[in-house]
Amino acid sequence: MIRFARKLALPLCFALITGVACGGGDDGGSDTSKGAEGKSEIKVGAIFDLSGQTADIGTPYSEGIRDYIDYKNSQGGVDGHKIALPWQDFKYDPTLAGQLYGQYVSEGAKAFLGWGTADTEALRPRVTSDKVPFMSASNAETLTDPSVTPYNFFPGASYSQQMRIILQYIADQNKGKRTEVAFFHHDSPFGTSPLEDGKKYIADKKLDVGFKSYVMPKGATDYVAQIGQARSQGAKYIVVQNVPSPAAVLATNLANSKADIQFVCLNYCGNEIFVKKAGAAAEKMIAVVPFAPPVAGLPGLEEINNYLKPKGTDAIAKGQGYVQGWYTAAVMLEGIKNALAAGGELNGESIKAGLEKVKDFQTGVSDPINFSSTYHAGLLSAPLYQVEGGQFKKIQDPITVEK
Amino acid sequence: MGTATGVFHTTYRKDLALRHTKAEYIRLGLLAAVAVWLPFNISTYWLGWTNIILLATIAAVGLNILLGYTGLISLATAGFLGVGAYTAANLKVFYHWPMVPSVLVATVVAALIGAFFGLPALRLKGLYLAISTFAAQEILEERFRSWKWLTRDQGTIVTTYPSVGETRLDTKFEWYWLLLVIAGLVFWASINLFRTGLGRAFVAIRDQDIAAEVMGVPVGRYKVLAFSIACGLAGFSGALQAFYIDTQVVTWENYQLDKSFTFVAMIIIGGLGSVSGAVYGAAFLTWLPNYINQFGASLQTSSFAIVIRKLSALQLAVFGLVLVVFLLVEPRGLARLWQRIKDYFRLWPFRY
Amino acid sequence: MSDPEVTRFLTLTVNGLANGAILAVTALGFVLIYKATEVINFAQGQFLIFGAFMVYQAEKEWGLPWPAAVAVGIGSGIFLGVAVERLILRRMIGESPLSVIMVTVGLASALAGAALGIWGAEGRRGPAFIPSKSVNLVGDVSVGANRLWAVGVATVVLIAVGLFFQKSRHGIAMRAVADDQQAAMVQGINVNRIFAMAWALSGAAAAIGGVLLASIAGSYGIELQGFALLVFPVVILGGLDSVLGTVVGGIIVGLLVEYSKSYISVSASVLIPFAALVAILLVKPYGLFGQVRIERV
Repeated sequence: MIRFARKLALPLCFALITGVACGGGDDGGSDTSKGAEGKSEIKVGAIFDLSGQTADIGTPYSEGIRDYIDYKNSQGGVDGHKIALPWQDFKYDPTLAGQLYGQYVSEGAKAFLGWGTADTEALRPRVTSDKVPFMSASNAETLTDPSVTPYNFFPGASYSQQMRIILQYIADQNKGKRTEVAFFHHDSPFGTSPLEDGKKYIADKKLDVGFKSYVMPKGATDYVAQIGQARSQGAKYIVVQNVPSPAAVLATNLANSKADIQFVCLNYCGNEIFVKKAGAAAEKMIAVVPFAPPVAGLPGLEEINNYLKPKGTDAIAKGQGYVQGWYTAAVMLEGIKNALAAGGELNGESIKAGLEKVKDFQTGVSDPINFSSTYHAGLLSAPLYQVEGGQFKKIQDPITVEK
Repeated sequence: MGTATGVFHTTYRKDLALRHTKAEYIRLGLLAAVAVWLPFNISTYWLGWTNIILLATIAAVGLNILLGYTGLISLATAGFLGVGAYTAANLKVFYHWPMVPSVLVATVVAALIGAFFGLPALRLKGLYLAISTFAAQEILEERFRSWKWLTRDQGTIVTTYPSVGETRLDTKFEWYWLLLVIAGLVFWASINLFRTGLGRAFVAIRDQDIAAEVMGVPVGRYKVLAFSIACGLAGFSGALQAFYIDTQVVTWENYQLDKSFTFVAMIIIGGLGSVSGAVYGAAFLTWLPNYINQFGASLQTSSFAIVIRKLSALQLAVFGLVLVVFLLVEPRGLARLWQRIKDYFRLWPFRY
Repeated sequence: MSDPEVTRFLTLTVNGLANGAILAVTALGFVLIYKATEVINFAQGQFLIFGAFMVYQAEKEWGLPWPAAVAVGIGSGIFLGVAVERLILRRMIGESPLSVIMVTVGLASALAGAALGIWGAEGRRGPAFIPSKSVNLVGDVSVGANRLWAVGVATVVLIAVGLFFQKSRHGIAMRAVADDQQAAMVQGINVNRIFAMAWALSGAAAAIGGVLLASIAGSYGIELQGFALLVFPVVILGGLDSVLGTVVGGIIVGLLVEYSKSYISVSASVLIPFAALVAILLVKPYGLFGQVRIERV
């Protein structure tokens, strides 16, 4: 059999080489459709994490974005222009993100939907010099200042802002006592994003809060050692900046150790994925969620439910990541709509101006979203939800703190 | 093997020559012509991938010196790519050195650290040496991930505006020429190495190191030297990559164990011990995942759309299958395959 | 006895032992293959997750009761091992050790791709037949019951394998083959069958290790395969061809990682085992219990 295969090897090689030479390179995957009156389509490039270390929340987020674009196109697009979305899974690899960005921009993408802190940070210089508006799911504070990153936007509240909110809440709940907080974070710039700002807020507002950080390394199967350190610190709260899967493992470890520590999640683990994975250990978790988890009765879910009903599902089943993706795409398209309305050529600069004009954008799952020419994050506030009986219940109306 | 019948070498010079027959020179000329024609006639996208192949070739040729010539297994190639990249990026971004000195210093640093991690070669052989290089890779990887000072706590370093002297290297076209010349020089140096005493000593070590020692080859020193050269070249490639437009992001995710394995696979699939094999292997294994991406993307709109969702799984699986199939069917690699093609034409209508 | 430092130390010790037990079981498979066939199996991590995923599949997707699911998992581990040996490794007999290593590397990649394609990147909540409730040990020390089960199951497996090698005919035959293939063949031992058996046992051991690991990690996910990288310090410490060595090595590495993670830093917990690996290679390359080989020209 092997000998036969060896005989085949030669002609097979010939065939392969000629096949490749003739085949050439096709363009990337894209959701495209022709405009009704022949209005040109607008290309928006996108990268998603569907198999990397943040894929658990990256996958529903990507579905939310793609479905919103599909929904909008089925309604005729933005002012008659259909939206084309070339996209690919970049596996949370910043180098692949860079290659895909270069490819899509050279193919005519006028704006870009990014994902995480790693890729957004890595692409920041190129995005600025290429003048391509970049909307990310990364809520790093460094992306909010247009004088530093003029073309970066994100619709949520920055991680630092979420951190300030929860620190203020903790300080208010424990007036008169010194409270220790253990900050557990993803091993990356995403994880450390709110760290320094958190410490600064404590110092500026003179809060009586002790603050120590602990790394949750990639691929770890348990965090017992770090919990031990947190207990030695005397921590009363563990605040987690991570995606749901590692956070769920941490919660399980914490529940097993029977320590009396309150578990708090910032927005990326405050969702139903975490609850599903942590099971009983998720009880009583407090979540800081600028985009609230989809629970029955939340106003912004109607549009989504109408879209999903023919597919036999609904927003609650799809989850918080999906809803966040849906509204992220919505905000981006709103910016494009503003740019088209302002007239003139549709390019990066006009879309940037259009996004900065987005004011009071209602989503129903969050406070109204505002961008301005001085602040490129959509929200300054976040409500607090708590897990009770496996469901999220609001325990605190949106808190806003001064930066 | 491989030279036509009727070709006799009558002087030492002719014996040592790199090309023996007219046919070989013509083939070489054709190759040069293609290399010059290429950048003007293929799309920027493919030109970009050609550049990446050239970068990979540099490291692969280095690894071939270690693995193919000297017979020492190294699983730390990716780590040394990283050493080169981080050093060069650090010098450029935080100390504002220009590109050329950054790359040169990065190469030297990689070579020195390579010599250090090559010291176990003085005591270990074969499998155990491989495991110690595996440990070196894990240690380097861990340092890239956790040593905050390397990236001044930013997690990644992004270099911009590389330039050689006065010219800004902004386009893939310009990079192509630079990389072609560099890769060509590295390739030629590696082939020449085999003609020198050092190269012969390496091969002697590979074949039977105890006998080589008896013959007077300073085995320990040369083993460490081989490590140094291979790691230096890997660092050189990594440093260049740090400046290349599409890969300007220096992040630890690029320098993981699976990349080390990919490089060893390049050498094996290309053909162990053959320098041109290293080039074929580098080209094949760099092109393959890209091809799978394109293939999957082209199926996006058809009923096989599921493929693009499973692209990464497909890439892994295909890489593994290709490796296994190659090793089962043609363990001597692409170079041997190419040799058989050439022989077929040369010997036709005879079988051998 | 509620001094937090003592609690911390004891909790770490129990967890370290549990992790070490799983490492020992996984490393056992590795050692089995090396002992019998002199092959380094870089795909051990993938065997681990495949076995675990098959148990998940059987229990959650096919609805089998958990003992049947575990049997399916172990069975698929055995099947995988035998298939690999028969289809791939048998053809690589006589090739250079580097080629054989690279074949296992290719296999690892192919299996990882297959697992990723079938079960996806997201970890899944698995069958919870290993009780994971908190168990109070001494004073304030509470650990999940699944860790105690891990230590227990691993001990049983290791003792069983030890006895197998000492007492059973096939076990002794395997030791004979490991010692000297030609002499074993002369004695009438079917060496091919022994190879297949070694791979089969290794697959089964990896499946068991995978299930225990998934229970501790709380999810059946593809990231579990990274755990197998620690197998290398374990077998180098213990000796590539010693079962007792894997036990001792597993315990030492498991404890070392937990202690250094908590008392020093997470970085140290990665650096120390691998730095120790290099140090041991330089001082005692055959490990604590390995057989010293004499090289002949």
